[in-house]
Amino acid sequence: MTTRQNHKHALLGAFGMTLALGAMAPAASAADAITFVSWGGTTQEAQKKAWAEPFTEETGIRVIQDGPTNYGKLKSMVDSGNVQWDVVDVEGEFALRAAKQGLLEPLDFDVIDREPLDERFVSEHGVGSFFFSFVLAWNTNKYSDGGPQNWEDFFNVEEYPGKRMVYKWPTAGVLEMALLADGVEPDNLYPLDVDRAIDKLETIEDHLTFWGSGAESQQALASGEAAMCFCWNGRVFELLQQDAPVDYTWNDNLTHADFLVVPKGTENREAAMQFISYAVSAEGQADFANRSAYTPINKKSDAMVDSEIRPHLSTAHPDQQVSMSLEFWAEEGPEISEKWNEFVLQ
Amino acid sequence: MADTREERPGPIGQGAARQAAPAKADPDGRRWRSLGPAVPGLLFLAIVFLLPVFGVFLRGVTDPVFGLQNYAELLGSGTFYDILGNTFLVAILVTIFSILLGFPVAWLITIAPGRIARIIFAVVLLSMWTSLLARTYAWLVLLQNSGVINKMLVASGIVDQPIAMVNNLVGIVIGMTYIMIPFIVLPLQTSMAAIDKTVLQAASVCGARAPVVFARVFLPLVAPGLTAGGTMVFVMSLGYYVTPALLGSTRNMMLAEYIVQQVLNYLEWGIGGAAAVILLVITLAIYLPVLGFQRNTAST
Repeated sequence: MTTRQNHKHALLGAFGMTLALGAMAPAASAADAITFVSWGGTTQEAQKKAWAEPFTEETGIRVIQDGPTNYGKLKSMVDSGNVQWDVVDVEGEFALRAAKQGLLEPLDFDVIDREPLDERFVSEHGVGSFFFSFVLAWNTNKYSDGGPQNWEDFFNVEEYPGKRMVYKWPTAGVLEMALLADGVEPDNLYPLDVDRAIDKLETIEDHLTFWGSGAESQQALASGEAAMCFCWNGRVFELLQQDAPVDYTWNDNLTHADFLVVPKGTENREAAMQFISYAVSAEGQADFANRSAYTPINKKSDAMVDSEIRPHLSTAHPDQQVSMSLEFWAEEGPEISEKWNEFVLQ
Repeated sequence: MADTREERPGPIGQGAARQAAPAKADPDGRRWRSLGPAVPGLLFLAIVFLLPVFGVFLRGVTDPVFGLQNYAELLGSGTFYDILGNTFLVAILVTIFSILLGFPVAWLITIAPGRIARIIFAVVLLSMWTSLLARTYAWLVLLQNSGVINKMLVASGIVDQPIAMVNNLVGIVIGMTYIMIPFIVLPLQTSMAAIDKTVLQAASVCGARAPVVFARVFLPLVAPGLTAGGTMVFVMSLGYYVTPALLGSTRNMMLAEYIVQQVLNYLEWGIGGAAAVILLVITLAIYLPVLGFQRNTAST
């Protein structure tokens, strides 16, 4: 962090707190407890069961659950020097962006064993919490003889009529998908040609709807409100478990990840590192995968995942996989969001 | 509901005006002493409202560097005007529908026998006391394609396909109008209650037909309540977040949602601050003239 920024923080730190939306979380003041923050719902429940509870048993350090993750809150805590969150589950590109802005503690890789981790999801200031894929899913009632098989079909509204749903927020995903459908080779995706991707999406503008939360995408896909969906694989798996009329393909699945980060200035840095070390261990990742159907970032975990779940994890489909560049999004995200807003507002 | 005080014959509005008169005979001291009890409240507002607003303003011109670049970026992008347009469209529609729906309710409370009036009044208030989030989610459940309303419409054969009532402008306007109706009804009802009914009778006796009585006698008399309520609803709607975010789609993004996106998702606090200041300036530009109008009508 530059001196200018430090000065700015000193000047504005007082206002940081007042900008925080909502009340602060209960503090984990004693070193015998840390606060873990995630997105709530079934994911955080699985993280609690797979990581927090065994971690407490092993180390005696209590883990207080808080949430949902809120980037503005995280920044205001760091700016004001009153950090109440010790480990936070964030989107991968945010982890890299926040690191650049000096909001995160560097990870201690003497405590965290880096060796068995998938390097795509490891950085100096954050390490994968789990990873997942955006996949093409469809409602089988809408397409009786086979469904769309690739992203080109996603744009083929004549052969495959019906509403298609994409993620509402401008994060890594939809634009990459549009470019693949437009014939861009996976190796040539970056730097993204945002205008070309948006032009491509505009060709099916009238057939597009947006989902903002995983639950929303599931509801629309299962009910047939959306005929096909650019969805998270874990959510599709959940629908299959419920015998919903849904099928999906791994063709050109696009990987994305959540990261675990430690806000700068936490008083429980060491305990936070220990917690992350447990969370990304082979056991922690496998146990979490068994509960959530999200993919482990620890390469040793695969063998420990239930055979029923394994084919539904991203790791089972590496040949059909396109790795998205979280670095690119960390850098360009805010600017792309302007263009994205412009597109969806039309 | 600051403006409603103007009409209500009570200790706050007219009392203050009455007090101003003897102050001529009395040295200024007494007037200032009467401010004493207000000091804690004012101080509280200064700390929890004015100071943060100032902080937001500072952010807008210092983040990431000192200057007006955040304003230039906002005002130079077409997206921002789309968002402003959405914001105003929603605020105008919500104000119109709230008035159309709230007006009869206010009148009913005014003319109904005491017990019934109290029950209607309680229902209006009750809706305000229920959690905003719960009420908005309830609308989501009711209005969605697989929701109760659409199921009934389809089952009864009125429509073949469910009507899209959420994730669009319709959803936002329905959800927000419902939330805003009490803010119209309360000041309007206060205005109506203050009307001497014999004035209306007199107009009829003099030969005015019902529409004329309504337009030329009744409406002018309730104008203060109507402008107070209407302005409040309009101004509140401009800054609304939760309901549009849940019932609308990205296409209907309003200013508050844009600010949240900038602040929470991209940590662009400078842009967020600048957008918030623009919203505040617009709100004040609308609110202050109406406040002046209020004073004039109240004194005539």
